[in-house]
Amino acid sequence: MRLLVTRKWHCQFIGSLIAALAASLIQLSTPLYAVEKKTLKIAFRAAETGFDPQKIEDRYSIGICENIFDSLLSYDWLARPVKVVPQIVEAVPVGEEGGTRFTFKIKPGIFFSNDPIFKGKPRELVARDMEYAIKRFRDPANRSPYSWLFEDRIVGLDEFVAAAKKSGKYDYDAPIEGLKVLDKYTISFKLREPDYNFIYFFTLPHVVPVAREAIEGYANDTMAHPVGTGPYILKQWVRRSKIVLEKNPNYRGHTLDTRYANPADAWDNEAIKALGGKTLPLIDRIEIAPIEEEQPRFLAFMNREHDYIEETPAVFIEQVLPNGKLSSAMQKRNMRVFREEQPEIVWDAFNLDDPVVGGYKPENVGFRRALVLAHDRGQEIAIVRRGQAIPMQTLVAPGLIGSDPTFRALEQEYNPARAKAMLDMLGYVDRDSDGWRELPGGKPLKLTYKYRANDDSSRQQAELWAKCLAAVGIRMEAVAVQFADLLKDRKVGKFQMSGLAWIADYPDAQNFLQLLYGPNTNISNDARFKWPAYDLLYTQALKLPDSPERDKLYREMNRIAVVFAPWRFGVHRIFNHFISPWVLGYKKHPILFTSFKYLDIDAASQKAVMQQ
Amino acid sequence: MGAYIVRRLWQMIPTLAGVVLLIFFLFNWVGGDPALVLAGKITNAEQIENIRKQLGVDQPYWYQLWVFVKQIVTFDFGRSWATNEAVSNILITRVGPTLTIMIPVLLLETIIGVILAIGVAYVRGTLTDRMIMMICTVAMSISFLVYIIVAQYIFGFQLGWFPVQGWSDSFAKNIVTYAPLPIMLAVFVGLAPALRLYRSFFLDEVNQDYVRTARAKGLGEKTVMMKHVLRNAMIPILTNVGISLPGIFVGSFLLETFFSIPGLGREILTAVNRSDFPVIKAATVYLAIVTMLVNLAVDVLYKAVDPRVVLK
Repeated sequence: MRLLVTRKWHCQFIGSLIAALAASLIQLSTPLYAVEKKTLKIAFRAAETGFDPQKIEDRYSIGICENIFDSLLSYDWLARPVKVVPQIVEAVPVGEEGGTRFTFKIKPGIFFSNDPIFKGKPRELVARDMEYAIKRFRDPANRSPYSWLFEDRIVGLDEFVAAAKKSGKYDYDAPIEGLKVLDKYTISFKLREPDYNFIYFFTLPHVVPVAREAIEGYANDTMAHPVGTGPYILKQWVRRSKIVLEKNPNYRGHTLDTRYANPADAWDNEAIKALGGKTLPLIDRIEIAPIEEEQPRFLAFMNREHDYIEETPAVFIEQVLPNGKLSSAMQKRNMRVFREEQPEIVWDAFNLDDPVVGGYKPENVGFRRALVLAHDRGQEIAIVRRGQAIPMQTLVAPGLIGSDPTFRALEQEYNPARAKAMLDMLGYVDRDSDGWRELPGGKPLKLTYKYRANDDSSRQQAELWAKCLAAVGIRMEAVAVQFADLLKDRKVGKFQMSGLAWIADYPDAQNFLQLLYGPNTNISNDARFKWPAYDLLYTQALKLPDSPERDKLYREMNRIAVVFAPWRFGVHRIFNHFISPWVLGYKKHPILFTSFKYLDIDAASQKAVMQQ
Repeated sequence: MGAYIVRRLWQMIPTLAGVVLLIFFLFNWVGGDPALVLAGKITNAEQIENIRKQLGVDQPYWYQLWVFVKQIVTFDFGRSWATNEAVSNILITRVGPTLTIMIPVLLLETIIGVILAIGVAYVRGTLTDRMIMMICTVAMSISFLVYIIVAQYIFGFQLGWFPVQGWSDSFAKNIVTYAPLPIMLAVFVGLAPALRLYRSFFLDEVNQDYVRTARAKGLGEKTVMMKHVLRNAMIPILTNVGISLPGIFVGSFLLETFFSIPGLGREILTAVNRSDFPVIKAATVYLAIVTMLVNLAVDVLYKAVDPRVVLK
């Protein structure tokens, strides 16, 4: 049969050929498999304030900055106890000149994320960016809550600030003797006094270099325009409602260092299996919702709206972790739980300047120690903390450099009989038979415990105190005070007893021991404890690196605190983090705020479960 | 009418002045020192003083009040002390989600409330009427918070009919996905008091002479209720709706907090907790102005609904 080749046939043939060619080209340009974008969804316990690292203080804003910016130093992800490692510097500096000089050399080739402020040009990180950041901390206009890090520390900085306040002009270009940029990548700090803990400041996620042109360019709202060198960028922000981070396309990448992993630790092994040998981060997008209320935060996780929940509200623990074991429902869902003792302490302080509970004479100390003995910390742990806490034995959170796991504060153990005996001995007896003890002189005795209004656990703690003291015949009134007023009352010493909490800024015991340092009264020493021997030990310890010699000084400070009882040692809280099975490599770091940089997601598995 | 409106607008000025003085006095007396909240966990007197200077709270009270008045006149309340966000931006961005919830709530509550109230008034005095009133009383006795917790648990978590919480950038998605549960909850809770109130309005009308006349003329009960009683009862109903209107611009802070809705109610609560005075000031003044304007609009509408009303 002859094929009739017509003009029409030609056009159709050519058209088909073009279409086939186009289809092939399109197929070639698309990946052979659909790339699942890995999206992590979680909730924060409290709302953020913003992302200008030198202006923030709350954990959640700092946690976001941890992913947008790079601090000079950081912590090895797996090492326990924690280990400081270089992040964007060549090495962890060793204190020179007797611990008064620290020099950091930034690695070349680290770039800020592509931001319009840089007008299309790549912007490399240099030492001047760190210098600028340090000056920003002390700029009065920034009202930095962390300016204390660099107060009375760096040679020439305080004088510079004082001169700026006088002149009304804060000149960022003025040189400062103790803050020298030696070359493009090297910055050196000269301190007034030796301070081997100085390097820890540079592990903080908000003590980070920033680009001056970004800060000045976004001067109207630097909180909303963070520009860093970190693995993520701020993609979307609906204030106090939604934070979205996406991978920084300009990021150099990092890997999981497994040198310090513990082969016996299942979490370490899982992290190595999921992340080992890969260029991180692996999560493409992170969506964070601040949810202050406990029920919606918990139910949102249980409803699979979020991928993991950290710091699960204690009120729900019995449902999902009865007697410390995963419930059958949680086991069925292949959930995992990471139990963490955070580096924090919760305690009750006495005001040492108060005429009733304060003082340093034996009778004053004896009265406080009797009150401590009367307080049932076991009930606090069982009822107020729902079993999710362990008793404090020292001033310092466990697991930190300089903490002493062998120290026992036996004088803080609950013993109401001994409390009554001590009170009788000191003259606090019930003279008028009304069931309540009076002061030794016969005047009425009524203690006041101030606690934060609208805070349930604070109220329960106050009620427990009232109950325990009533059991030994001491009348106590619990007074609810608005947060701002409570802060003020504590700062000016307008209280008798109050509950406090402190979480580590950096992993050295000094961060906790400063809470009883005399000169820190009106600053962080809310108990207003002023004991020369303690202060001397503290200043001596500041001049020493981590060593048995320093540990000895720390031990003595703990002993003084137990003897004088400015505090009723409280608890270290235990937090439970529940992780869905498709979240891979999870391990909560005790000091770092978030885990985003060291996570992976099995996107297919996540999708399959969400679609159920 | 024009003169009446102008006169009412003038009268807003002394009312607003009273609100300004009250909020200023309250904040400075019981509001707490914002400098301490902002200062961080380690601070000293010098730092606190610096913060107070930056915020302007170290100035004499008369100067601070003058600044407040200027801000009202210029509608510029500056920036949030806590987050540095422009206060005007806070109000503009938060009022949308609030209205997305509250407008449907008000409409549904009114419509359903009126329909149910007519029905209950129709069967007035019967066992049905008494049972319904008893249920309403019990329902009103339960805290709104309990409803929220239970509804979130049952409908959000157990049944999975709605997300437990959340909000999106898309209006359509919010209306279809995130808003239904809080709206239904608010309507359900608001129905009991609305039903009781509207029923009383209908019963007031049912006993009037014109109703007796209408029945005497041979009109059916349904016609009497729907055509005559309803129209006259709408006057106090509209008044009640008018009184509720300013509230929809603030929203329910409980709903917004528990369902993570970025509305104005939640924002105001956060500002109070943080002693964030610029936001508190702006929200209070805004609400006062809205209340006065809405009241004026309701009074004018009253005239349209009831021609007998004389606006003086």
